[in-house]
Amino acid sequence: MERNRLLPLAHLWAAFLFFLPAICLGAWQMWIRSPLPTVLDDPNAYYASVTAHGTLMAYVFPTLFAMGFGYAIANSARNGVLAGKTLAWIGFYTLLTGVALAASAIFSGRASVLYTFYPTLIGSPFYYIGVALVIIGSWFWIAVMLLNFHAWKRDNPGKAVPLSLFAISACAALWFWTTLGATSEVLFQILPVSLGFRHTIDAGLARTLFSLTLHAIVYFWLIPTYIAYYTLMPQAAGGRLYSDTMGRVAFILFLVFSLPVGLHHLFMDPEHGSGFKFVQAVLTFMVVLPTLLTVYTITSSLEIAGRLRGGRGLLGWIRKLPWHEPMVLAVALSLMLLGPGGFGGIVNMSYSMNAMVHNTSWVTAHFHLIFGGAVVIVYFAIAYELWPRLTGRPLASKKTACWQLWLWFWGILIVTVPWHIAGLMGQPRRYAILDYSDPEVARTAPLVLLSVVGALIILLSVILFFIVLVRSSLAEPAGEMPPVRYSLAVNPPRTVSPLLNGLGFWNVILLVMLVIAYGYPLGQFFAMRNQSSPGYSLTRELNK
Amino acid sequence: MTEEFRVPESADPQTGRIDNKALVVVCVLSAVLFIAFAVGFLLLPATHQKRGHTSLKDNIEHALGHHVHAPQNFAAATPETIPTYVIWDETTIHEALHGDPAQGEIIALNCTACHGDNGVSSQKWIPSLAGVNRIVLYKQLADFRSGTRLSGPMTAIALSLTPQQSADVAAYFSSLSGGIVSDPIHAPGSGRSLRAKDPTLRLIYAGDPRRGLAGCASCHGPGAYRLGVPSLLGQNADYIEQQLQSFAQGVRRNDMNMPMRTVAGMLTADEMHALAQYFSVGSPLVK
Repeated sequence: MERNRLLPLAHLWAAFLFFLPAICLGAWQMWIRSPLPTVLDDPNAYYASVTAHGTLMAYVFPTLFAMGFGYAIANSARNGVLAGKTLAWIGFYTLLTGVALAASAIFSGRASVLYTFYPTLIGSPFYYIGVALVIIGSWFWIAVMLLNFHAWKRDNPGKAVPLSLFAISACAALWFWTTLGATSEVLFQILPVSLGFRHTIDAGLARTLFSLTLHAIVYFWLIPTYIAYYTLMPQAAGGRLYSDTMGRVAFILFLVFSLPVGLHHLFMDPEHGSGFKFVQAVLTFMVVLPTLLTVYTITSSLEIAGRLRGGRGLLGWIRKLPWHEPMVLAVALSLMLLGPGGFGGIVNMSYSMNAMVHNTSWVTAHFHLIFGGAVVIVYFAIAYELWPRLTGRPLASKKTACWQLWLWFWGILIVTVPWHIAGLMGQPRRYAILDYSDPEVARTAPLVLLSVVGALIILLSVILFFIVLVRSSLAEPAGEMPPVRYSLAVNPPRTVSPLLNGLGFWNVILLVMLVIAYGYPLGQFFAMRNQSSPGYSLTRELNK
Repeated sequence: MTEEFRVPESADPQTGRIDNKALVVVCVLSAVLFIAFAVGFLLLPATHQKRGHTSLKDNIEHALGHHVHAPQNFAAATPETIPTYVIWDETTIHEALHGDPAQGEIIALNCTACHGDNGVSSQKWIPSLAGVNRIVLYKQLADFRSGTRLSGPMTAIALSLTPQQSADVAAYFSSLSGGIVSDPIHAPGSGRSLRAKDPTLRLIYAGDPRRGLAGCASCHGPGAYRLGVPSLLGQNADYIEQQLQSFAQGVRRNDMNMPMRTVAGMLTADEMHALAQYFSVGSPLVK
């Protein structure tokens, strides 16, 4: 059993305990949008639910998961010596306080602004303060990660940082930059109005600040998954990683390119010029590079494992892979979902194609496919990998775990594929209740019903996931568990350039890129006539 | 393990030196940015210029976000078509929210003859003012004063008030109870959607998508609030119905961007009557 196991375990448990209600709300939302009879067909209930679902799924669950996974990685990289444990616990409790505040505002119906805030909508200040505390809690984690990153380098002079520690530190640095947008939007734009100090808000400026967060946050969710691709899967498959250097390059490309691209979320917004939208679209295409590198490296790693296990011929190695290993199965399924998900993303970031899918269900389906499909399925596998090490008890049933992953895979496909099609048929997003007596809308009814079936499959999968976790936690202790072992490369590099062993240079590059890509689009708001409009308060209380 | 995949014994790679890799990175990134800017700010504007009637300079300005639309594209509004002179900016909202109810109570002595002793009117075609949001009252007085909402007696009264006095009297009436109920937050319940059986409740909560009608409640409440929009719960039925007719006929047109003229213009007389009844009875019907 590993030392300092309580810290990652508490984070992972908290992450999944918030994940559970968020999944249930999601399934209900899919149901209420369908033609099926339902209780509580109240749009206000729907928007409160969407806010809770989005806040938990976008901010709370992946953040807690990355924090827990990060602590586990740092702890094993440093052989059970984790610096900054007190800081880590402060961060954890700050985050939980934030969740409690935000939840109280959402469930009293005072913060149905959806997790992306949508100014000029204004909800209760408790919601925004709660979300800010969640982010501030995660800043403690960033500090602890970077502290351990540097402590490792100090303890091991002249050696290259292990890929897992390097990647999670890049993730922490990325998250710091990412949160600056949403945090400044909340602190300087929304909270003053929500607290009643001001009455008007510059929606253009607020949306631009949020766009800084909105895209990079996806890569923050994705990096723990990619870490598992590179460092856990090859080991679990009984092979080696194809290339260590490729991994380092991919994580650095994510750090550099996921931030100066957020304007592609504002293609239809009038406050920015077409030139800057084009520049950021080009930079967005650059983010495809690390994903392509990863797909290549990981497929190669799978092939290496398959051939080491005796696979022959062009595709014979595929059969030889250990498909009963949750990690191998999850990574393969995740890669399969990453394909269509990534393709949808390329549609969204293409300036003119974006116009066709703008504000349709296509977009919602896209981010559910990417997040649910490519990302979360690997979170499950990481949990299966870490649980025995953190609890000292063996995993209850790998078979149930594999069933769970298959159900999740099909559930996500059955939810999102019809959802994409409904979007292409013109179904708008953010609609609580659709009028199926209208023939135009009725065409999409079978698709929405299919999505409901998918949502129920997902729900079933999550129940299985909890059964495995709880049964594993209650099992007899298995004595000494081997520590988590991260995969080595087939040909571990003998030397690693300092550029691929540190983050300083890349942070400077990122800052320069941000100034070039965002300097003018943000600066213009301070130069032009005030464009503020009244905050659209959800409650009459503000203007009483 | 096969021969070709044999792993070197040393698994701890050492760090090397920074050679000119950093320079290569900077050059590649600069090239990407240079091409992106050149295409976005020169090539595309030039292409647009060939196709359209705008100048290259205008197209580059457009790429920068300076939208140079000729002012003649916007026909100057005539005084008759201006719906209201109230602009909801920081100053106006601040003024509307900071009336003195004690001063307002004195001014309100002029109002009681028609609007009732405590702002609750017993004459069904005259609105009750007790509990009406102060921002609403402030705006209506401003519109009466500027002539964008028409009423003989109210125009005369509003002309005698300064904006500050309007805010004062608005603060007074909004503080009274027994009239309009403001209920922005309420527990979620069933039957508040297109699935509602009662057609009037359906109109209130879900509108009618086929006519492009938004639900009344999405601005007026219950369950929602919009700046400058009154709550209607407990308002006098005849007054509501008469105002819907006025909006529909274009007699009343002080709604900025025409939401009420559009919606009321699509309602039938029976629907107007039913909506007025439901809102006037308040909570028991409009749960």
